[in-house]
Amino acid sequence: MFLMRFTERAYVNYTVEDVKNSPNSAVRLTFSNSHFDPQLGADLYNAYLDEYEYCEEVGFDGLMLNEHHNTPTCMGATMNLEAAILARTTHKPKIVLLGNPLPIFDNPIRLAEELAEIDMISRGRLVSGFVRGTGVESLATNTNPLYNRERFEEAHDLILKTWTTPGPFRWEGTHYHFRVVNPFETPFQKPHPPVWIPGTGSPETLEWCAQHHYPFVFLETDPDATVDMKAIYTDTARTYGYEPGPEHFGYLVRIHVQDTDDYAKEVGKGYLVGNVGVGRLPMPPDYMFPVGYSGRDPKYLALRERIRSDPFRVGGLDAAGYEAILAANRMIIGSPDTVIRKLREVLARVRPGILAVWTNDGSISHKDTMRCLELMGQEVLPALREIGTELELTDPFQKTP
Amino acid sequence: MPASVHEAFVTVGGAQIRLLKGGAGAPLLVLHGMEGSLGWRRYAQALADHFTVYLPSHPGFDGSERPVWLQSVFDLACFYTWFLETQGLEGVRVIGCALGGWLVAEIAATTRHAFSKMLLVDAAGIKPQAGEITDLFILSPAQIRDLTFYDASQVPEYAQLYGHDPSPAEREQAIQNREMAVRLTWKPYMHDPRLPPLLARVTAPTRIVWGRQDKIIPVECGTLYQQAIPGADLVVLEQCGHASHLEKPDEFVRVALDFLP
Repeated sequence: MFLMRFTERAYVNYTVEDVKNSPNSAVRLTFSNSHFDPQLGADLYNAYLDEYEYCEEVGFDGLMLNEHHNTPTCMGATMNLEAAILARTTHKPKIVLLGNPLPIFDNPIRLAEELAEIDMISRGRLVSGFVRGTGVESLATNTNPLYNRERFEEAHDLILKTWTTPGPFRWEGTHYHFRVVNPFETPFQKPHPPVWIPGTGSPETLEWCAQHHYPFVFLETDPDATVDMKAIYTDTARTYGYEPGPEHFGYLVRIHVQDTDDYAKEVGKGYLVGNVGVGRLPMPPDYMFPVGYSGRDPKYLALRERIRSDPFRVGGLDAAGYEAILAANRMIIGSPDTVIRKLREVLARVRPGILAVWTNDGSISHKDTMRCLELMGQEVLPALREIGTELELTDPFQKTP
Repeated sequence: MPASVHEAFVTVGGAQIRLLKGGAGAPLLVLHGMEGSLGWRRYAQALADHFTVYLPSHPGFDGSERPVWLQSVFDLACFYTWFLETQGLEGVRVIGCALGGWLVAEIAATTRHAFSKMLLVDAAGIKPQAGEITDLFILSPAQIRDLTFYDASQVPEYAQLYGHDPSPAEREQAIQNREMAVRLTWKPYMHDPRLPPLLARVTAPTRIVWGRQDKIIPVECGTLYQQAIPGADLVVLEQCGHASHLEKPDEFVRVALDFLP
C-alpha cells in the first residue's frame, strides 16, 4: 500500500462572520482577498513546507499536493511551485500532484514543461495528477465551464503527446492550437510520469480513467458509494480487457492522531474550522457547478443513479455533526491504536492501493500537526503497511496499473 | 396562447427552429433574450393587433436545434441572416430584447438590408463605461429573476411566468437555455468590442428603450447605443427594470407602436 500525506494548506485567520458577510456568503471565489495577510502567508507557506519535509523523515511514501483558486481553504494556488521546492528539498518520497486543473490552462505545453522540470529535479519522483477543477477554478480563470470536459481531455492528450512523441509536431485541436510543439526538456520518467486522477466520482471520469488505466483516487467519498463507483470503473476496465485491482484505486480520508483519544478528538475539531466547511456554510451551487459544468448525458445520469447518495454530502461533509462524522469513519481521529483499528475497517471495505492521509487542516496547529506526523511515523504507518500486506492492497508501484 | 397564434418548426441551415407566429399585417420580428422566448405574452398579443409577429426561438433555446458550428453571437447573426432569407423577411421591422437586442445590432452592423426599423430593448452588446453588466453566470435563476424587475408586483403576467414549480422538462429546458447563453456570451462577457464602431454604418431608423432601474445592463448602455447608431432616439421608462416588455407591457407597446409603423 502506498501511503501519502496531504493537507490543503489552509489560510485560517478569518471568521465565520467574515464569510457570512461576503458576496453570496461564499468562502471561495468572491471572498475578498483583503482578508489575506501576506506576513502570515509567508509563515504558513514555510510551515507547510517544513511539515512536508518532515513527512519524508517519518516515512511517508508520497507527498500529496492539490490546487485551488480564489480561496482561503487552500493556499496551493500554484501547486507546481511547492512541488518544485519539494523536488529539491526531499529525496525519497513521490511528489503527488492531485492535480493540475487542465481546463483552466490556455497553454498546456507550459504545464508539460513545468512538470518535466519537477520530474527531472526530483529525479523521477513526480506523479502527475490531472483534474477538471471545481467550478470555482473555471470562474476564477474565466474558463468557459461549458467546455470543461472537452478542454480537460484535449489538454491531457496534448500533454501526453508532448511527453511521448519526439517533436516538433503541430497541434490543431478544438480548443488548443500550436504551430511548433517541441519543448526541449522532457520528463525524467519514461514513457512519462504516472498519471493518477482524483475525484468524487463522476461516472464520465471513472470511465475515462478506466479506459486509460489511470488510478482513481476517491476524495472522502462515502464508503458504500465508493464501492458502487469502483464497480463502474471495473465494468469499463473489463470492456478494455483487464481486471482492475487495488493498484487502480486510492482513497483520501482525514486521519489525525494524538497520544490520547481525548486530545485527538479535541484537536480534530480544527478540521471543521477554516476549511472546506468554514463556518459550516455551504458553497453556492452556481459557484461549484456553474452552468454547463456538469454533464447531462442520459447514460451518465443513469450511472449517477447507481451511485448511492452520500448522507454527509448534503451541505458538505463538514455540515454534519462531528460525532456523526467520526462514528461513520468519515474522519478517523484518535490515539494510534484507535486510528489503526478504524482504518483497518475502512481499508477492508474500500480496498485502495493508495491511501491519502489528510493529517491536518483548518485550525489544527503546526505543533499538533508535527506530533501527529511523529506518531504516524512511529506507530501508524508501520501498522498500515502490515495491514496493506495482509489485505493484499497492491499499489501502483508494486504492480503497474 | 390564442388560437390565431401558430407554432411551427422551420428549417434554416439544416436546423429545426421553433417559431411562434400570429397577428396580421406587415411582418415584425421579435428576438428574445437569454431566458428564451417565454411564449406568447401580453406584449406580443398587443403587437399582433398591428403586425404579423414572428417570435423564433434561437438555436439552442426552447427546443430549437443548434448547428454545431454556432458558438458565438456573431455566428448567431450569420444564422439569422439566413433565417431572414428563407422566411422572406429581409427588410423586416425588428424588436430585440437584451441578448436579442445585441443580436439585432450585430446583424445590422454587418447586413445593412436586414432591417427597416429597429427597436432595441435593454440590449446587451456594448460594454458600459461607468458600471458593469451583472455577471449572471454566478447567480442562481432566482437571483436573476429578482434582479430582472424593478417591482415584481407590477409584472402583470408574473404568476403565469413564475407562479408554478417548473416541471422536470421545463427545468431541463431552462438549463439548456442557460447553457446556450454561456456558449454565446462567456468571453468577452455580454459584449462585442467591435460593435460600437461598426454601428456607425447603420441607416435603419432606430429606437432604444431602457428601464431606468435596469439592474442587469445599466441604462448608460442605452446612451452608448444612441451615440453609436446615427439618428437613434432613446426612451427611458421610469420605475422599470431590465424587461420592460414584461414589466410594463402596455407602456412598452405604446412606445413601440409610436415608432414602428
